[in-house]
Amino acid sequence: MIDIRISDCNKSYGTLKVLKNIDLEIERGEFIVLLGPSGCGKSTLLHIVAGLDRLTSGTIEIGGRDVTDVEPKDRDIAMVFQSYALYPTMSVRRNMEFGLRMRGKPLSEIRPLVEEKARMLHIDHLLDRRPSQLSGGQRQRVAIGRALVRDPKVFLFDEPLSNLDAKLRASMRTEIKKLHQSLGTTAIYVTHDQLEAMTLATRMVVMKAGEIQQVGKPEEVYHRPVNLFVADFLGNPGMNFMRGQIRLDGGRVSADVGAAMLPLDGYAFAMPPSDGQAVVVGLRPESVQPATGQAPAGSEPFVLTLKPLLTEHTGSDNLVVLEMGDQEIVGKFPTDPPPKLGEPVTVGFDLSRLSVFDAATERRL
Amino acid sequence: MRRFFQRHVSQIALSPSLALIAIFLYGFIGYTVAVSTTTSKAFPRFDNFVGLEQYWRLFHTPRWHVAFTNMFLFGGLFLLVTISLGLIIAILIDQRIRAESFFRSIVMYPMAMSFVVTGIIWQWLLNPTLGIEVMVHQLGFESFRLDWLTNPNTVIWALVIAAFWQGCGLVMALFLAGLRGIDEDIWKAAAVDGIPAWRVYVFIVIPMLAPVFLTVVVLLSLSIVRAFDLVVALTNGGPGVSSDLPSVFMFDMAFRRTNLGLSAASAVVMLGTVLAILIPYLYAETRERA
Ligand SMILES: Nc1ncnc2c1ncn2[C@@H]1O[C@H](COP(=O)(O)OP(=O)(O)OP(=O)(O)O)[C@@H](O)[C@H]1O
Ligand SMILES: [Mg+2]
Repeated sequence: MIDIRISDCNKSYGTLKVLKNIDLEIERGEFIVLLGPSGCGKSTLLHIVAGLDRLTSGTIEIGGRDVTDVEPKDRDIAMVFQSYALYPTMSVRRNMEFGLRMRGKPLSEIRPLVEEKARMLHIDHLLDRRPSQLSGGQRQRVAIGRALVRDPKVFLFDEPLSNLDAKLRASMRTEIKKLHQSLGTTAIYVTHDQLEAMTLATRMVVMKAGEIQQVGKPEEVYHRPVNLFVADFLGNPGMNFMRGQIRLDGGRVSADVGAAMLPLDGYAFAMPPSDGQAVVVGLRPESVQPATGQAPAGSEPFVLTLKPLLTEHTGSDNLVVLEMGDQEIVGKFPTDPPPKLGEPVTVGFDLSRLSVFDAATERRL
Repeated sequence: MRRFFQRHVSQIALSPSLALIAIFLYGFIGYTVAVSTTTSKAFPRFDNFVGLEQYWRLFHTPRWHVAFTNMFLFGGLFLLVTISLGLIIAILIDQRIRAESFFRSIVMYPMAMSFVVTGIIWQWLLNPTLGIEVMVHQLGFESFRLDWLTNPNTVIWALVIAAFWQGCGLVMALFLAGLRGIDEDIWKAAAVDGIPAWRVYVFIVIPMLAPVFLTVVVLLSLSIVRAFDLVVALTNGGPGVSSDLPSVFMFDMAFRRTNLGLSAASAVVMLGTVLAILIPYLYAETRERA
């Protein structure tokens, strides 16, 4: 069942087009993450769903009702902000109560509700404090609690965790995930942290300059990016890109990337390649590993002997820069044994993870 | 020797101004206190110590009572009117109106004028034979009367209005800066929560402006105690002594009635009033920092 439908939505500030023909359908209970570089219009899209910004053209439906011209308070949504946006002059309890009180709900009903949600978020001992007397993580819990007590149809999150330190962010991330699993409320979540996007999303939306690039399950977007931008934007360390040409030889397809011919027989081409077509072949560092003798299940073994130029120790892995003709690629190697610089090693490529892009259109082939 | 200079360069650089402040500010405060314990007339003399007698006389002078009460009356009304209207204007300007800087300049403009000019302008405007009264008569409302300047019961309002006209800009600017400093997200959260704008102002935004209120009250209070030029230019203390303020009283005693001792006593009482306002403020400020 479609819960939110964004149809042909445009937003301009003067001549600046911030959102261009956005179309998105969100099922009930989905956790949608909007991901993209700074300034690509994620917050704007979220604000439009909330009704805090007017759209220039297009329509928004929530729960089957056209809410394009409906005030935020009547859209049955709740929102959590990056800056928490707690009311600083009120206690935590009043912060959580205030919205419901304004809606005329009797205090006798609000009180138990607030206590229950506060217990759920482990902030019940903080109810009588002011926001200024809380830590960042506690403040964000209160902000989430304020959204929860409203029991809305849709949760909107605008980078709720980006003011927290890495450790707290990770634990809050899992809590938000648990919360969503237990409540099952539809949510839209804006972030530019890929890890948050990959772990939280049931589907993610990658945006660039006001346009949706790709919508899909996190694994799908990660492993089958539709264009070079998405491929490059996701992943840390970033995907390896090798420039080359398609070679059609008899019934066989391969990509000539200078130092090697990468067989593409197993590759599911979306459009048929032509001989000599300029392409960019992408392969993530974790698909470039020291050869173990056996190939990963279901793919043919493909090995090359390459010279390590540089290694970076990240704690759990060694990132190894390998010389490949006149190009360089990065592989993710185990820390033990450390590769010796300048001494060629046999490297296995997991070709089932290849992505091939047209060099001119930058789209996936 | 060089090391001594290097280590103490900031103290050395500050010492001339510290010395000047010590002499001309604290030195003369002490001098005034000393004068207030004598019966000095036109010139200060220290051979006739009378202790607190001048203070006793001060508080038995009816004119001082009028002046001192006026200060609180004028001050209270001025604070109330300026803060409430200044805040309302700031809130109106904060509504992202068109031509905002135009309205801001209009409200701020009187600030650029000296109190003497303000006093003279309002003296003309309120003068029954020149100003607003004549204008309204010419419009045909013959029965209209505007006798604030000549009626001892209402003359204080003339002072309040003129002082408001001058002070409103500053208050508005401070409040506007405070309003603009409030996180946009608070407004958005309130919109999503469905809180009407006036309630957001009353319950959330205005309480958040508490520090601005404190600053405004202190700034205005100090200007109330200091108010002198406005009264001299607008009413000269009249009619009679009905619009007298302590500063006018002090000036009169010192330079027209040749009663330096009494004048000094009134100056010391004014200083006490200022300190009574300032000390709690400074205390609150330093405690906030700590
Ligand atoms: N009120 C406004 N007036 C003009 N331009 C605006 C306004 N608000 C946003 N923009 C522009 O719209 C674009 C998208 O802004 P938006 O806040 O949606 O980006 P974002 O994807 O949320 O970025 P970030 O990750 O930095 O939060 C930006 O280029 C921004 O400059
Ligand atoms: Mg944003």
